[in-house]
Amino acid sequence: MRTGNRLVLALGKGIGFTSRFLKAGGGSTLPGRTARRMSPSFVPNMVKELPLGSVLVTGTNGKTTTATLLASILDRAGMTPVHNRTGANLLAGIASALIRESDLGGHLAGRMGLFEVDEAAFPAAVEETSPRLVVVNNLFRDQLDRYGELDTLASRMKEAVRTLDPQSVVVLNADDPLVASIGRDLPHEVIYYGIDTDRYGSESMQHAADSKHCAECGSRLTYEYYLFGHMGRYSCPSCGTSRPGSQVSAVELEMVELEGTRCTVKYPGGEVTLFIPLPGLYNVYNVLAAMSCALALGVDIETVKEGIEGFKAAFGRVERVEADGRNILMILAKNPAGFNEVIRTLTGGTGRKNVVLALNDNIADGRDVSWIWDVDFEMLRDRLGRVVCSGIRAADMALRVKYAELGEDSLTVEPNLEKALQEGLAMVEQGETLFVVPTYTAMLTLRGSMVKKGLVAPYWEG
Amino acid sequence: MRIKIGYLYPDLMNIYGDHGNILTLVRRCEWRGIPVEVVALNIGDPIAHGEYDMFFMGGGQDREQVMVCRDLQETKGDDIKREIDEGAAALAICGGYQLFGKFYRPFEGDELPGINVFDAHTVAGKKRCIGNVVAKSALGGKQGTVVGFENHSGKTYLGDGCAPLGTVTVGYGNNAEDKTEGAIYRGAIGTYLHGSLLPKNPSIADFLIEKALGRRGSDLPLASLDDSLELAAHAAALKRAVRTH
Ligand SMILES: [Zn+2]
Repeated sequence: MRTGNRLVLALGKGIGFTSRFLKAGGGSTLPGRTARRMSPSFVPNMVKELPLGSVLVTGTNGKTTTATLLASILDRAGMTPVHNRTGANLLAGIASALIRESDLGGHLAGRMGLFEVDEAAFPAAVEETSPRLVVVNNLFRDQLDRYGELDTLASRMKEAVRTLDPQSVVVLNADDPLVASIGRDLPHEVIYYGIDTDRYGSESMQHAADSKHCAECGSRLTYEYYLFGHMGRYSCPSCGTSRPGSQVSAVELEMVELEGTRCTVKYPGGEVTLFIPLPGLYNVYNVLAAMSCALALGVDIETVKEGIEGFKAAFGRVERVEADGRNILMILAKNPAGFNEVIRTLTGGTGRKNVVLALNDNIADGRDVSWIWDVDFEMLRDRLGRVVCSGIRAADMALRVKYAELGEDSLTVEPNLEKALQEGLAMVEQGETLFVVPTYTAMLTLRGSMVKKGLVAPYWEG
Repeated sequence: MRIKIGYLYPDLMNIYGDHGNILTLVRRCEWRGIPVEVVALNIGDPIAHGEYDMFFMGGGQDREQVMVCRDLQETKGDDIKREIDEGAAALAICGGYQLFGKFYRPFEGDELPGINVFDAHTVAGKKRCIGNVVAKSALGGKQGTVVGFENHSGKTYLGDGCAPLGTVTVGYGNNAEDKTEGAIYRGAIGTYLHGSLLPKNPSIADFLIEKALGRRGSDLPLASLDDSLELAAHAAALKRAVRTH
């Protein structure tokens, strides 16, 4: 550990403490930002201190859930990951995690780095952390204003993957054609995972499907069935490229409404049946991604199963909260594909659901809110009770609901998030559930107001 | 009287919530009892004379844009131009807008020819113009403003054969230089504003519907709708645009 890094650490820790103390929001990126500004080699130097190396988790949807699932497994396996836990998944977040988990001498409490990074930050993160394993879960259109075009993004990611140490392992979702294309002709060991049953497949694609064309030749892909957005069983009629065979595959699925999914997974050397305590197909993918990584890192299947079944949802992604005898189920939705899965989850069960839809357009949400028009709100017709639209762009959300013809009479516009939550709670009966679907910064604010009411713990304690 | 909308390349050109523009046109017709039909026009599909009252085309990624350009040159471009000259309405957004002009010149490689609806050409720019936009527009009718979101690196320059949709007061517009945004030629509108454009700018949606009805020989004024939510979203976008620039 160089003296330079020690000074940087001392300062970073000071900032982390102060910003937590001032309740400025968990101190999750400021220390890292400062450390990286003072010493550009801070992260590369620190990760060398991790005896088990580093893992990078990326993909548009589900990286926090995947990384947290994997952390839950690795903790049980005694591999003690250092995880950038609070959704601050840019490089500053990685630096902050390293600061938080080390003493002033630079000795890390953890043994392995587990870092979730945005797709756009992935190449830089590969360079700085020299990972032994990377996993790409999916690529959807997400905040294009920040990321540029999807094809360009995928080719940049592929270039970055090519620079990995030859011993590194690459874990990819076989059902996403663009993600799967990253593994083609790669000299590294590639592990594919996917869903190998058409039980929840559909014949038509959602509006949010983004990758409809063959990454090799540009022709339109044909699908036997779609599972989630553009994921499914695809092949290219022109060049013959098709979904690669998966080594880790969900072969049986049974969704248990909003509770979770029972599934049977085949993996090299066996088969396991487990219960995923999170709803929706997208969480099946998150689990398959985490399982594939854990198995590749040498964790035994019993520990993997325990880690998944004992999982507590990453903060805000899916959060169940009780308030005055009413339940709040808050599910983060930050892009069309993720929102469609939330909607699919809401269409399960019986009775009309009361919802708060909260749309912000801060930088972390994406300034451009046009994506809500790619969400299939029409699926919710005749399924909703009262709807409260909230957030900075509450009126845009209300307009989307109006044009989906979901019942204008039961629609309220309340831009103030705290008031919207109050209003939402007032419209559900004792014992009933209010569904809250916010974008990222709206979720932070809503969670903040729940913390204030003492309903949930602040996230840096969780 | 039924109006028929030709949705150009819905699979290839639909990058920024373009579905919202189509949905707005459809609903605003339905709410007034005007029968409306949307027909997807994909690669290879021909355009019969007098068949369509309106065309819509959204934006796409580079590769899609090249495929679409080829098809426009081979099967549809001249027909679309003819229909617009004969009174059909059209809305072309981002990449669609560029291809409705004379040509698109990239940094490297061949020029992409357009279909010459707008007397406008586009050259590749180094800077990406991203953000909320407000433009003053005569077409905006009572509102006088158009709001939306732009995300483009192409710079479009207008000739004398078309008028700008508006003058930018917040944001970059056609080329980040001359303060113009979009283009109008007869019943055709081209613009860099998605976001989605029509839900928050109902007067533009109604302009297009009126033109389409006009093509069917109707010049009756459209029945008015309760646009309080639309105008609230317009106002919120206006306020937000000023604050985020
Ligand atoms: Zn192909």
